[in-house]
Amino acid sequence: MKFSRLVDQAEKIVETHQQGHSVGSKELSELQRRLTEKISHYQAKLEEADDPQKREKWQTRLKVVSAQLQKSKQLSVR
Amino acid sequence: MLKKILLPSILIILGYGFWVSPDFKEIAAGVSIFLFGMLFLEDGFKAFTGGVLEKLLQKTTNKTWKSLLFGIISTTIMQSSSLVSVITISFISAGLVTLVAGIGIIFGANIGTTTGAWLVAAFGLKVKISAYAMPMLVFGIVLSFQKSKYLKGIGSVLAGLGFLFLGIHYMKEGFEAFKGSFDLAALAVEGYPGLFLFAAIGAAATVVMQSSHATLVLILTALAAAQITYENSLALAIGANVGTTITAIIGSLSANVQGKRLAGAHLVFNLATGLIAIVFISQFVWAVDWVSDHVGIAQDDYTMKLAVFHTLFNVTGVLVMVPLIHRLADYLFKVFPEKAQDLAEPLYLNEAVIEFPETVLKSLKKEVWHLFDSAFELMAHGINLHRTEILESPDLEKTIADDREIHELDLDELYESKVKILYGAIVEFISQAQEHMPSIYAEEMFRLRKASSGIVECVKHIKHLRKNATRYMLSDNENIRAEYNRLRYQISMILREIYRLRNEGDYDHSLAILEIDELKAEIQLEHRQLDGRITEVLRDERITPMMATSLLNDFNYVDETSRNLLDTAQALLISHSDLIAEAAQEVVLDEDEIDDATTI
Repeated sequence: MKFSRLVDQAEKIVETHQQGHSVGSKELSELQRRLTEKISHYQAKLEEADDPQKREKWQTRLKVVSAQLQKSKQLSVR
Repeated sequence: MLKKILLPSILIILGYGFWVSPDFKEIAAGVSIFLFGMLFLEDGFKAFTGGVLEKLLQKTTNKTWKSLLFGIISTTIMQSSSLVSVITISFISAGLVTLVAGIGIIFGANIGTTTGAWLVAAFGLKVKISAYAMPMLVFGIVLSFQKSKYLKGIGSVLAGLGFLFLGIHYMKEGFEAFKGSFDLAALAVEGYPGLFLFAAIGAAATVVMQSSHATLVLILTALAAAQITYENSLALAIGANVGTTITAIIGSLSANVQGKRLAGAHLVFNLATGLIAIVFISQFVWAVDWVSDHVGIAQDDYTMKLAVFHTLFNVTGVLVMVPLIHRLADYLFKVFPEKAQDLAEPLYLNEAVIEFPETVLKSLKKEVWHLFDSAFELMAHGINLHRTEILESPDLEKTIADDREIHELDLDELYESKVKILYGAIVEFISQAQEHMPSIYAEEMFRLRKASSGIVECVKHIKHLRKNATRYMLSDNENIRAEYNRLRYQISMILREIYRLRNEGDYDHSLAILEIDELKAEIQLEHRQLDGRITEVLRDERITPMMATSLLNDFNYVDETSRNLLDTAQALLISHSDLIAEAAQEVVLDEDEIDDATTI
């Protein structure tokens, strides 16, 4: 393979990566709905928990799912 | 011993045959060209596989009637029930189709193979087929020199058909000339003994030629040349049907128990069908005459009548056997029971599927899960816990704190026998498969290889952890004991969670891959907490500096193991089963993103 072609391909890969993959709008809404549902579930668990360690655990999970939800909002829709 | 003398004996017999009879030479050459054509045909069809065939197989075999239809169509196209059987065995071994679906395909293949008799009877012996053979060969060979995979495939199919037709031509010529010098009819015996004798000859001929189709062509040509009587030919056709199972049996030798069951089903079906055909031969003869009258086949057109017979008795066999398909499957489960699982043996890697990329990936994924299961057991025992405790305990932390039983085991030996062998088989399979895999599968192959090496690393880390974990779980110092129990808990919890996510229902399974991120974040949290705790207990002299050093070293093993396990799980939980699962893959967080999210 020619070097210039290799560079072209690499650029395309980087471009795709930067733009992010696109997903169908129906699937994206369903994914976001489920993540939101999970966030509510963890919030309920957090409120129930008295033990500081357990609270920290639910807080961590909550933060991760929130970050995933945020990331999903940056995806481009097909 | 038998194997050693078999080939030289065959060669000597053939050589002698060629010496004494030029006609025999022509027939043998015809058979060879015919079989050569079948090889080309098989190669040609392989060019059109590579994902498509496997997907088609899954969608078209989920109901018995569908699998029957699949068997009929695929065998009609490929003109080889043996090829379809062997491919089905490989798929069943890879766990892609169920035994019942596989049996359905085999039944269908038996009907599909009868189209061969029709093709030969209707066209092969009425026209000078070599006239078609030559252009096909020329076009086929020209196309097979092309670079395009599909043109090559078409070329091989055309060349294959050309050779088949040419082979038929030579066999026909040979039999015409052979007529005066050898009389198969001399072997004729009246009644059932004769039927069984010719059935045995038909079976033997098929075993030798590895193709019932080739035998059928021989029968039809011999019949057309009046070498054998019509009744003899019926028995030969029955025998050919039984003989064809030998290819499937050979194919199943390298297959797992499922493949053996399918080969068993093939044998049972063909024996039962053959027996029915022999017992009710006079009824079949009457039915053949009746059908022939109604479709306008002449009374003395025995080649066409043989084709009718071949179809009738196979259709009868299917009609009789289809209602018994589940019973047959149950029976085969009893005859070929599942071996007590030896974890060191690969269960899903089958060389027969190596040219089918989708199947390769699915088999590999199953095998890596199998490696995970083996490693799970070793890791559990390595930290002095039972697998069932990890999976079933309602309060894992308490179970770990209470259970102070030491598991006597040689982890090095177990690693060699249960993990290393399996890992080696996976790596070897991947490198073999990569030769045939299109580049689009490279990333997934790499991920699966990395996942298996990750599992192996985990076991190695547990080997290092075991010494101190065993020592300190019995320690009188409750602080160090508690810390080591935390390490044991972390490994157990991750193993248990991965196991749960793997077996999650369809709804949750789509998001399983995202839950791994949460577990990764929990590990990071644990890492931060441990640092604080160690400083505290060391300052208060509740543990010695030596203990603290061991703990920090071992925590690194546990941390590494946890990350490897979670990365492995994430690689294995990637699912293309639905679009939600595919969307979920896009929001998986990387290590920095997890870090950012949890330190806010």
